[in-house]
Amino acid sequence: MGTDSKRTRNNGRAGFFFRIGNAFSEFGKRFVDGSLGTKLSHFIFGAGNFYHGQFIKGLLFLLVQAGILAVMILCPTINNTPYGWKALANLSLKNVSEGGEFDFATGEMTVGSDCKLMVLFGFVTIALIVIYFLVWNLNIASSYKADKARKVGKKPTTFVQDIKELFDGKFHVLMLTPTCLAATVFTILPTVFMISLAFTTYNSQDMNKLGTNLFGWNGFQNFSSVFTGEGSLGFEIKNRFLPVLGWTFIWAILATLTCYFGGIILALLINKKGLKGKKLFRTLFILTIAVPQFISLLAVRNLLGEYGPINSLLLSWGWIKEPIGFLGLQAGDSEILAKIMVIVINMWVGIPYTMLMTSGILMNIPTDLYEAARVDGSSTTKMFFKITLPYVVFVTTPYLISSFVGNINSFNTIYLLTGGGPTYVGYQAGGTDLLVTWLYKVTIDQGSYNTGAVIGIFTFLITATITLVTYRRSKAYNEEDTFQ
Amino acid sequence: MKNSLTNKKYKSQSANRRISLSVTYTLLIVFGIIWLIPLLWIFLSAFRCEYQADGTFIGRVTSNFFPNSFGLENFKMLFSSTYYGVDHAFLKWMLNTLIIAIIDCIISTLLVLSVAYCMSKLKFKLRKTFMNISMILGLFPGFMSMIAIYFLLKSIGLTGNPAHPEYSLVGLVLAYSAGAGLGFQIAKGFFDVIPNALVESAKLDGCTNSKVFWRIILPLAKPIIIYQALMSFTGPWMDFIFAKVIIGADNARYWTVSVGLYSMLFGTHPDTNLFTQFAAGCVIVAIPIVTLFMFLQKYYVEGVTAGAVKG
Amino acid sequence: MKKIIALLVLLAMSLAALAGCSGGNATGSNSGNTPGGNGGVIRVWVGEESVEFYKKVCDEYVAAHSDFGFTVEVKGMDTGTIAQVITNDPIAAADIYTVAHDNIGKLAATKCAKPIGDQSLIDQILADNPESFRKVIYSTLNDKEYLFGVPYISQALFLYYNKALVTEEQAATFEGLREAAKQAGTKAITVTGDDGFNMSFALLATRASDHATTVKIYEGAESVSGGAKGISNCQGDDTVAIVRWLQAYAADPNGFKWASPDGWDADLDKSNKGALAVIGGAWHYNTAKAALGETNLGIALIPTFTLTEESVKGLSGVKAGDVYRGGTFADCKCFMINANSSADKYVAEQALIKYLSSKEIQNRSYLECLNVPAYVGASEFIKKCYEEGKVSESQYNLAAMQVSMAEWGIPQPFITGILNTYYYSKNGPQVFRAIIDKSAYPTTGDVILSETESLAGVRKGLYLIEYLWMHGTTPKEFPKENDYPTPA
Repeated sequence: MGTDSKRTRNNGRAGFFFRIGNAFSEFGKRFVDGSLGTKLSHFIFGAGNFYHGQFIKGLLFLLVQAGILAVMILCPTINNTPYGWKALANLSLKNVSEGGEFDFATGEMTVGSDCKLMVLFGFVTIALIVIYFLVWNLNIASSYKADKARKVGKKPTTFVQDIKELFDGKFHVLMLTPTCLAATVFTILPTVFMISLAFTTYNSQDMNKLGTNLFGWNGFQNFSSVFTGEGSLGFEIKNRFLPVLGWTFIWAILATLTCYFGGIILALLINKKGLKGKKLFRTLFILTIAVPQFISLLAVRNLLGEYGPINSLLLSWGWIKEPIGFLGLQAGDSEILAKIMVIVINMWVGIPYTMLMTSGILMNIPTDLYEAARVDGSSTTKMFFKITLPYVVFVTTPYLISSFVGNINSFNTIYLLTGGGPTYVGYQAGGTDLLVTWLYKVTIDQGSYNTGAVIGIFTFLITATITLVTYRRSKAYNEEDTFQ
Repeated sequence: MKNSLTNKKYKSQSANRRISLSVTYTLLIVFGIIWLIPLLWIFLSAFRCEYQADGTFIGRVTSNFFPNSFGLENFKMLFSSTYYGVDHAFLKWMLNTLIIAIIDCIISTLLVLSVAYCMSKLKFKLRKTFMNISMILGLFPGFMSMIAIYFLLKSIGLTGNPAHPEYSLVGLVLAYSAGAGLGFQIAKGFFDVIPNALVESAKLDGCTNSKVFWRIILPLAKPIIIYQALMSFTGPWMDFIFAKVIIGADNARYWTVSVGLYSMLFGTHPDTNLFTQFAAGCVIVAIPIVTLFMFLQKYYVEGVTAGAVKG
Repeated sequence: MKKIIALLVLLAMSLAALAGCSGGNATGSNSGNTPGGNGGVIRVWVGEESVEFYKKVCDEYVAAHSDFGFTVEVKGMDTGTIAQVITNDPIAAADIYTVAHDNIGKLAATKCAKPIGDQSLIDQILADNPESFRKVIYSTLNDKEYLFGVPYISQALFLYYNKALVTEEQAATFEGLREAAKQAGTKAITVTGDDGFNMSFALLATRASDHATTVKIYEGAESVSGGAKGISNCQGDDTVAIVRWLQAYAADPNGFKWASPDGWDADLDKSNKGALAVIGGAWHYNTAKAALGETNLGIALIPTFTLTEESVKGLSGVKAGDVYRGGTFADCKCFMINANSSADKYVAEQALIKYLSSKEIQNRSYLECLNVPAYVGASEFIKKCYEEGKVSESQYNLAAMQVSMAEWGIPQPFITGILNTYYYSKNGPQVFRAIIDKSAYPTTGDVILSETESLAGVRKGLYLIEYLWMHGTTPKEFPKENDYPTPA
C-alpha cells in the first residue's frame, strides 16, 4: 500500500498532463500496430473480439454501441421531450414553443416545451456520449490486448477467464461498478443539473409574472444579482445573504462546541468510577438518538407552544404574564430567544452522540498517564485539563470537523423547530434560517430554482473550503496508509 | 504519625469521593429527566383520552402535561381512520415503509461494504480520485438534487406514473440506496483497522480477492455491517421530505409513515385535532426503532466511534 | 477483456434505453407518460375532505352511463397546495382537478388547463351561477378568452363563536365581542391565518348602510394577457380609518389576536383563554366543532364595528360613528381540465364535469360533506334541508351565513395569472400584519416603513400594499404627503 500512495502523490498536476499525452500516443499506437480486428474496433465495437474469437464479449460491445447509437439517432421522447441528438440541440433552450394552440373541434391542445426536462435530458445524453467513448476505448484496448497475447503465442482470454478475473484481479471493478453507475445517475447528473440551473432564468415567480413556462440561459446574471438585487428574489439574496451566512456560522460553531463539550462532560459523569447504573443512564440518553428526529423535535416544538404545557406551567406559577413565543413562530417574536432555544434544544439532540463516542475513548486513555499524574500529586481538575481533555480532543478532531460541516447543513433542527422564524416582512429567510433551510424555502416553496442553485453553490463552496483545508491537513488523510 | 496522616487523607478522600459521587448521581438524574420529558410527553399524549362536555374527542395539544384520563382511543382511530382518502392509511404507510426499509437496508449495506472494502484493501488506479469525488459530492446540499431525481425517475416511469402508482416505491428505494455507496467512509475506517497481513497471508494461500472479502473480511466486520444495516434501515422511517417529493403529494396510498405523520400536523389546513393520533403514530414508529437501537447499541457505538476517529 | 461487468450493466442500460425508445414510439410522440397514456381512465383530483363523496358519485355516473367509455379514479389532494403541485408537473397531474377560482389565471397562463368547449356545459354554467362567479372563471390562452373553471362550491368567511360565553347579540358587533371577552378574561376574536385571503375581513369591510368602500383590487382589469391590470386602491380614507380602528382593537387586551402557532382552534378552546370567536370558512367547521363542541358552536355573520373618534382623526371621507361590516372574498371552487389530458377524453371529461357540477350533485355534497353549493338559489335548498331536519342547526347556519356573507364580499378578482402572482406576493399580507401590530416593516432593504403608528405611516403602509398588488415589488419611493393617488 505504501508504494501505491507514493505513486499517487508523485502523480501531481504534471503527472496528469503526462498521462493525457500518453493516452493520445497510445491511441495512435494501437491503430497503427493493431491487427485488422483492432483497427476495425475503432469503428465497430467488438470487431476485434470477433476477430480473435471472443464472441460473447464482442457481442456485448456491439450491443452497447448499437444501443447508444439507436438512442442518439432515434431520439426517443419521454414526456414530449426527446433524448439523443435532439436533446443536445435542445440544451441551447432555443427553438422552444409555448404550446397552448387549442382546437375546439377535437379538444386537442398543443403541449409546450418543458425546458427543465430539455436541460436534464441534454445532460443525460452527454453522459451517454461519455459512456460511449469509455466503452469505445475499452473495446479497442481489449482487442489490442488479445493482439499482444497472440504475438507472444498465447491464446486470448476466454469469456470464462474474464469472469473469473473479475472475482480476483479485477474485483474492484465488480464491486465499484454498481456504485459508480448509481452515483452517476442519482448523484452526479442531478447535481450537475441543479448547478446548471444557477445560470438560467428558471424562476417560477418571474415566469408566472411573465405568463410563460419557458426559461433560458442567462449566464452569470443570477450571481451578479446577489450584489445588484435584481430579479424577484435578487432583492432577498442581496439583503439576507450575509445575515443568514453569519448566523449559519454562529450556529455551526455554537452547536458543535456545545454538543461536543456537553457530550464529554456527560460521558465523564456516566463513566465515573464507582457509579452504578451506567448502562441505564447511557440507554436513557441514547433514546433521543433512537427516536426519529421529526418525532422528538416536533414534540419539543409543541411542548413549547403558546398553549403548550411549558407556557401554561410558567403562567400558573406566575413567572410570566403572557405566553412566551420561544421558537419565533409568530411575527414579532424575539429572534434572540429563538436562536438561543434552537441551540439549547440542539444540545438535547446532539450531546448523546458525543457522549457515546467519547465514552469509548475515555476508557481507552492509558491508565499509566493518570498514575504518573497522581504520583505528582495533581488534582482531579488538573488531570482533566492536562490529560483527559487533550487526549479526547486529539483523537476526535476529525469528528469535530465533520460535525461542524454537518451542523452547517443541519436541516431538521431548524426546519422542525422554528421553520426559520421569526420571519422578516417581505423575505423568505427568517431569523433562524440557515443557508440550507433557506435553500429549501426558495426552491421547494417558491419554485425559484435559479436563486436556490446560487445559494446551493455558495453553501457548497463554504463547506468544501472548510473540509478541504482541514481534511487535507488531517492525519487521517495524509497518513491514511501508514495507519494500518 | 505518618501512618495516621495517610489514613486521614484516605478517609477525607473517600468522603470527597462519596460527595462527588452523589453530586454525579444528582446531575445525571436531573439531566435524565430533562432528556426524557419531551419523549414522555409524546408517549402520554398518545394515551390521552379526553372529551369535551358534549362528548367531542379532544385531539389537540392541551396545556396539561399529564392526561386527565387514559385510553387507547388514539390507537384505535389511527388504525381505522381514512386519511387523505386512503382507508386504513396508517397500516398501509407502515407496510410501505417496512418494505422500503428492508430493501434499502440490503442494497445500501452491500454497496457500502463493497465500496469500503475496495477503498481500504485493494490497490487500483483512480482510487484516490474516487475518494475525492465522493467526498465532494457529499458536500452538496441534498435538496438540490431532489427535483432532478424526481424527473429522472419519472422519465423511466418509476414515479408520477398514473398507471402504476406503486412503482413510486421502487423509485424511492432507488433514490435512497443509489447514493449509499458514496457514504463508505465509516466502514472504510473500520476495515482499515483490520490488519493487512491477514489479507496478504490469505492471498498467499491462494484466495481470490472475492474470497478474501466474503470469508475473511466480512466475518470480522460484523459490527460495521450491523451499524450500516441499522442506519439504512432506520433512514426511511425518519425522512419526511425526500419521500414526499419522490412519491408525490397525490399518492397518499404509497406514502411512507413519516410523510403521513408529518402531513397530519402540517397540511395547508392543518387539522390540529389530529395531534394525539400523531402522537400515537409516533409511539408505534418509535417503539421498533428504539428497540432495535437498544439491542444493537453496542454496534452503533462502535460505528459512531469508528467514524469519529477516522473521520 | 476489461470490466465485463461494467459492460453488462451498460448493456442492460442501453437495452432499457432501446426499450424506452420503442415504448416511446409506440405510445406516440404526444403521450409518453401523459395522463392520456393509460387509456380508459379519467383521473380526478378533489379536495381531500370530500374525496369519499366524489368517489361515490363518479362510480354512480359510470354505472349509469354504459356509453361513457372510461373508468374514473378519484383522489384527494390538499386544496391549498394543489395548484403548485399541478404547475410543478402538469403531466403527472390528474385529467380533471379542482382548485379555488383564483388559481384559474395562473393555471391557464402556465398551460396547465384546457378551455371548456361543450356548449351545453357552458350553458349550464352560465345559467346556474351568479354573475360574480361568471366573471371570474374566464382566462386567456394565446390572447384568446376562454371559459376555464366550472364552479361547484362557494366559499366565504364568516364567524364562529363560543355560544357559552358570547350572546348572539354580542356576536353581532366587534364591540359586543370585546365586552364578552372582558368578562371572560380573553381576547375577543382571531383569524385562521394571516394570508391574503384572511386579511380580506378588514380590507374588504364596507359601510353597513350602503356597502360603500373605496378599496379596489384590479377593478376593470382585462383578462386578455398583456391587458391592463385595472385599478387598485388600498389607501382611501375609509381604509385608513378601518386599519386605525383595527390597530386600536388589536392593542386592546380584550380585542383582536392573530392565530396562535399552535392552531387557531387552540385559541378557541375555552380552557386556553385565547379568543372567543374566529373568522373562518366552512372548511374549518369540523375543527371548530372539535374545539368548542357542537352545542357551544355559534355561527354568525362577520360582525360590524363602529369607527371611533381616534380612528377618523385627520381624515375627511369618514366620520366617527360610521358602522362598517367586515368583508370577505366570496370565492368558488372549480373543476378544471388538465391541458395535458389526451384529446380523446375531452368529450367524456366535460360530460363528467357537467354531472359533477349539476345542482343535484352540489346539493348532495352539501348534505354529505357540508360543501356549500355555488349555484344561484342554493339558499332555498339549504333552508328546506333544515326545515326537513336533514341538517343540524349549526350545519344550516354554516351554509346560510356563508350565503349571506357573499353579499358583503367580492370574488377574488384574479383574471390573469400575473395578477394572482402580484396579489400573493408574500409581502402584502405581511406588511398588513406589521401595520396592525404597529411594528416596523423591518426590512434591511430599500424601503423602510418604521412609523406605522402615525396616520402618515398607516397610509404609507397601505400604499405599499397597493403598490405590491400592482407591481409585485416594493416602490423605490413613496408619494409626498397629500399626494397619494385617489381612486378614480
